[in-house]
Amino acid sequence: MTETYAVVLEEPDGSSRTVEVEPDETVLEASERTDRTVPFGCRTGACGTCAGRLLEADRAEAESDDESAAEPTDDPDVAAAFAYRREPRALKPRHREDGYVLLCIATPRMDCRVAVGSRARSGLVDNPWK
Amino acid sequence: MSDADTPGDVEPSRDHEHHGHEGPGYATPQAALEEGEREELAYVMSLYTGTDVDEPDFVAVVDLDPDSETYSEIVDRVEMPEKGDELHHFGWNACSSSCHVEGLERRHLIVPGQRSSRIHVVDTKDRRNPELVEVIEPEDVFEYDLSAPHTVHCVPEGKIIISMLGDADGELPGGFLELNHDFEIEGRWEPPGEIEMNYDYWYQPRQNVMVSTEWAAPKTYYPGFDLEDVEDGKYGRRIHFWDWENGTVEQTIDLGEEGQIPLEVRFLHTPESTHGFVGAALSSNIFHFWYDADAGEYRAEKAIDFEAREHEDWEMPVPGLTTDILLSMDDRYLFGSNWLHGELWMYDVSDPSNPRRADSLSVGGTFGEVREVQGRELAAGPQMIQLSLDGERLYWTTSLFSTWDDQFYPEESERGSVMLKADVDPRNGTLELDEDFLVDWGECPAGPARAHEIRWPDGDCTSDVWQ
Repeated sequence: MTETYAVVLEEPDGSSRTVEVEPDETVLEASERTDRTVPFGCRTGACGTCAGRLLEADRAEAESDDESAAEPTDDPDVAAAFAYRREPRALKPRHREDGYVLLCIATPRMDCRVAVGSRARSGLVDNPWK
Repeated sequence: MSDADTPGDVEPSRDHEHHGHEGPGYATPQAALEEGEREELAYVMSLYTGTDVDEPDFVAVVDLDPDSETYSEIVDRVEMPEKGDELHHFGWNACSSSCHVEGLERRHLIVPGQRSSRIHVVDTKDRRNPELVEVIEPEDVFEYDLSAPHTVHCVPEGKIIISMLGDADGELPGGFLELNHDFEIEGRWEPPGEIEMNYDYWYQPRQNVMVSTEWAAPKTYYPGFDLEDVEDGKYGRRIHFWDWENGTVEQTIDLGEEGQIPLEVRFLHTPESTHGFVGAALSSNIFHFWYDADAGEYRAEKAIDFEAREHEDWEMPVPGLTTDILLSMDDRYLFGSNWLHGELWMYDVSDPSNPRRADSLSVGGTFGEVREVQGRELAAGPQMIQLSLDGERLYWTTSLFSTWDDQFYPEESERGSVMLKADVDPRNGTLELDEDFLVDWGECPAGPARAHEIRWPDGDCTSDVWQ
């Protein structure tokens, strides 16, 4: 039996929806099976258009024997929540520490909740002079 | 009374038999100026990539005929087959550089996706209703270890060369991709390894020279502008002079601290000239370059310096960000945009070494005096510019690049871009905003879109090169 992970996408308008992601699928690919695709550009992890931010990860299914990790955490570990198909070149170390994830090349390893859309992505850089 | 009105005068010949002109374009830049008719349509790169509108990018057809009922409206949209392209720059299958090639027409637009690396071909046989006819998929581009297509120029004999800013992973080096006249990938134009960074290019075949500029690796500029990357040397400041026939770099000039991020580059239109200009976007300076015959090499000198300005809401002085330049077809004026300041300018370059400010317009952006047109608030400054062949009408759009827009003008994604126009008096060197002209991408049916590069069906001031 193949196990899917439920990824809750928090849209910029405040609404949310859940996509079921197959084990060999990226979040972008899963969203393409629905009526609304998460934003994307290069599909190779270079451009960052698809960047989302991990808000919450449920480690219960991924590590069911680890009692301490059974509850959603306030400071979710994006490296544990997603496996990458290739190197996420658009992200700098500070972005990964802040929970950013490139949804075009990321496959979830647990149920999680992710902020998506242009507002989530625009946190990658700010106006350096203002 | 003009010559043409003289009784008994013979209709002036337009067949250029003395040049053997049978193909696309015009025999000379002056012929383009004389024979080019007023632009009645514009093709404009239009995009949803990077916004929350879940739709593909499109080529907008804009009505520029003042006598038309749909003047200054988007009258057609050619949707791309996939989402996420970021349409940006584009070009023709043929221009005046092939004006001796019988049977070749200026008809197909080569429309790359900057982020997707997908390359589209749009047939404009029906000018008001162009049609997508070919698509080169990203995987076929990546096979040549190239990505991020940018500047498209047609070169003699119907070939097309596209500057590519990265390798297949969005890292350095970039290079150039060549398409044949059937819009198939012919291969890499240059031997790999000639350059690291790439951006825009222009060629001057009679002088056997091409010049190319530098932005950064796609993975660096794609996500947005990070000042740390400049400090780390990840943005360009060099220009490269190539042997056009051999496809090899003969000379590289480092423009230094005052030449950071050299983007748009133009040789003068006259095919004899070795003079040209490049806009260093971040430093907000214009460099003049020319061939120094005595030294046997090209030289570059800062010719125009736009000072950063203080703004009460900004912690640091605001650079102009000189993101686009172009030369009028008669090579008398250099026009450009300071996107962050909100300024369009016009310099007399009849002596290219000594540009003389002719006029400017303060519109939109951070400091622009004009804040709205026809009640439409301007979200961003002037960015991509295009000039009529006769040099009398300057048009511009307001989007730079989706992620960079979001940093500096976040409202651009919510309101959409606009296209505006100024009337130019080339005799007196003046610019005047035409407040009757406004095209609003905020009113697109699927939601607000951005607008970038502009072209006319019969060639424009950034499309044509002469052999």
